[in-house]
Amino acid sequence: MGYIELTVLNNNVSPLAMGIDLGTTNSLAAVWKDGRPLVIKPEGHSSGSVPSVILLPEQGENTVGHAARAQAIVDPRNTIFSIKRLLGRGLEDVREDLKSLPFPVVEDAAGVLRIQAHGKEYTPEELSAMILMRVHSLCCRSMGGAEIQKAVITVPAYFDDTQRQATRDAARLAGLDVLRIINEPTAASLAYGLDQNAGGNIAVYDLGGGTFDISILSIEDGVFRVLATGGDTRLGGDDFDRTLVDLVLDELKDKLPREELEDPALHLAARLAAEKCKCELSEHPEAELHLTLPQSGAHLRLQVTREEFQERVAALIERTLQGCRRAVSDAGLEPSDIAEVVMVGGSTRIPAVRDAVAAFFGRLPHTELNPDEVVALGAAVQAHILTGGSRDLLLMDVTPLALGLETMGGAVAKVIARNSTVPCQATEGFTTYADNQTGLDFNIVQGERELAEDCRSLGKFKLTGIPPMPAGMARIAVRFHVDADGLLKVTAREESTGVMASIDVEPKHGLTDNQVETMLKESLIYAREDFEKSRSAGLKTEIGGMLLATKKSLAGVRDLLDRETCLDIDEAIEAANKALSSSDGKVLQAARDGLEQATGPLAALLMDRVARSALAGKRLDEV
Amino acid sequence: MALCPHCEATLETPLCCMSCQALLETEAALSPFQILNLERGWSVDPHELQQKLLRFTRMVHPDFFVGAEPRERELAERHSAAINAAHTTLSRDTTRADLLLNELGGPSEKDERQMPQAFLMEVIEWNETLEEARAQIKDPATEARLQELDETLKCERVKILTAVGAGLTPLPPSGAAELLEVRRDLNAVRYIDRALTELEVLRLEGAAS
Repeated sequence: MGYIELTVLNNNVSPLAMGIDLGTTNSLAAVWKDGRPLVIKPEGHSSGSVPSVILLPEQGENTVGHAARAQAIVDPRNTIFSIKRLLGRGLEDVREDLKSLPFPVVEDAAGVLRIQAHGKEYTPEELSAMILMRVHSLCCRSMGGAEIQKAVITVPAYFDDTQRQATRDAARLAGLDVLRIINEPTAASLAYGLDQNAGGNIAVYDLGGGTFDISILSIEDGVFRVLATGGDTRLGGDDFDRTLVDLVLDELKDKLPREELEDPALHLAARLAAEKCKCELSEHPEAELHLTLPQSGAHLRLQVTREEFQERVAALIERTLQGCRRAVSDAGLEPSDIAEVVMVGGSTRIPAVRDAVAAFFGRLPHTELNPDEVVALGAAVQAHILTGGSRDLLLMDVTPLALGLETMGGAVAKVIARNSTVPCQATEGFTTYADNQTGLDFNIVQGERELAEDCRSLGKFKLTGIPPMPAGMARIAVRFHVDADGLLKVTAREESTGVMASIDVEPKHGLTDNQVETMLKESLIYAREDFEKSRSAGLKTEIGGMLLATKKSLAGVRDLLDRETCLDIDEAIEAANKALSSSDGKVLQAARDGLEQATGPLAALLMDRVARSALAGKRLDEV
Repeated sequence: MALCPHCEATLETPLCCMSCQALLETEAALSPFQILNLERGWSVDPHELQQKLLRFTRMVHPDFFVGAEPRERELAERHSAAINAAHTTLSRDTTRADLLLNELGGPSEKDERQMPQAFLMEVIEWNETLEEARAQIKDPATEARLQELDETLKCERVKILTAVGAGLTPLPPSGAAELLEVRRDLNAVRYIDRALTELEVLRLEGAAS
């Protein structure tokens, strides 16, 4: 029916940006609403989190989230998970990880990983984009169809430049406008609102599904300043699960034929059972590790005690404490200088982890907020700040690893030290080593080691256009700038002549700008299809609502309308009912508009009655 | 002190106006002392330094310019980086001394590589101790020797750094001859810092074996 516009005071200002925690196992969005960060839960869901799992079917659309995870056991080769472990990495980096991933992964000529499914290949950026799109659309839908394109995306503090760049590219592919890439532990510190307390030094211990981060911050006067950060990009809850998977495989080793033992479906079933058992052990002193063998359907039941599990994971926990020790010392502090400890990530539910952290810092850590939500909540706070919502809070983050250039002989000239506050910039001088040399090759590296081959190469570039001069005369200044996202930009200039030389940085394991552009264009085509689909769905809902309202109100006032109007309305209702079986946007739109027009007089009549009733002192809902 | 070209308030830093919050264009090379509005000299109050870092960063940080014009965003990035660099340089005694020496036209690290004569004998001795420790990393007595050396080095560092400070207080005139002595002392401090890092690595290796 036609819209009756009543002036309602609109307090519901829609948030301008969302915070997204793109996780190894789960992803989640949060927004700033009514003065605080809030995780938006879709209707009928107990949590807003989306499993970071993608099902790539042979035909039709891909599925992301709970439905995909449920299918994992049926179609393990085409169900992609733990994609964050592959983001911005090369095949050499992930050899260990691939052992536990049942889907095929190859590296293309440019060093970018490709995940294969049904004869098609997907980059980790594209797959991560699918997860981001799902999280984004769920959040928008839960906000009543709000259009929020701006986002703050979190990454582990220990992510290197390539991994950060890959995350940014994934967000671009998902059609998001990335306001900032921020570090997960730093985000978590914001979520707890610790600036309300006296301030001081705090530690954020973040043990997620696939990564471990530790950050030491000082809080003063609303400024959160990261003093040091450290961690391990390959240590997380998945590794804790693996200790239990090993238990299962040991048990089955002599009982099953080799081919059955190597079945990806078995490994997946074991992984899911292990995860479940691990979670139960956080609640109970003992739990059952139970799985159904995919091939025979037989059941395996193992009793695991908390002590047994703790013994298996003790070495993993000790690795995290080593990280804590180093970060505290990098910050120039002792563990006793830390006033508060914040726990982040699902794995911090494990009692042994909590106990170890409490013992290390000598105080009970904060666990009040849901450890799975705290990063997304913090990202929403940062999104609020970045969209101009607050100037009272400020994050000053650091770059986790040293950045430098390879010099003659394979040594590394460090240009920017680890734990430098970002944005930061530094310049390193170079010269030519041959007469009339017009070009110079540079290898940008990230890492703490002294030799370039032990560090991670971020990319190489060639400086060209140096004017001919004797060896050693050119003064080439290479400038590094790490921006507030923690991303590196390199420029170079020959200073004696002032010639700004051109640079082409070839990312080692990332997509080039051209690749991202091409993918974006392709996705736009899909986007139009998707848009059509969602438009039709939206129109159908609207028509449904209009029909219901029209029938209801028409019953009471039919005799007050003239005959022609009644006929028009009945016709429009019939047309609308017919249109509902179509999925053509144009047909639906015409039916909706027809209905609106036909019910115009009805709307006017109702409006009139509302006004008169109001004058008569009646409440609106009594009309 | 200069005035803001926009609102004519007195500027606390050449990078921005604390009054009208405008980001200002700057000349290429500003001294860290100018950037953080601190009096040029050897002694810097760490608390004041920290306050200036936070105060100015609150004005220029890129987080507050996300929706601004590209030119302004670029300025925010650059000014923030400049403030961070200035803070880092001034907060460390060695980099602060190096800066003062360079600003006063003293010999650079490349020009003058020598250490004070009196110091050389000790350096030879310390190098030997480190050399021995490396060779006998598994010997239980090594840890005690390293501990002793650690204390000696730290004590010596304080002594030489005091000399550096004395040489720079009050600031000698530009190009003064005594800057050579200060540079030599600073070289000694840098030697000690390298030795201390090496020692730390050896101790970690010792603990691991």
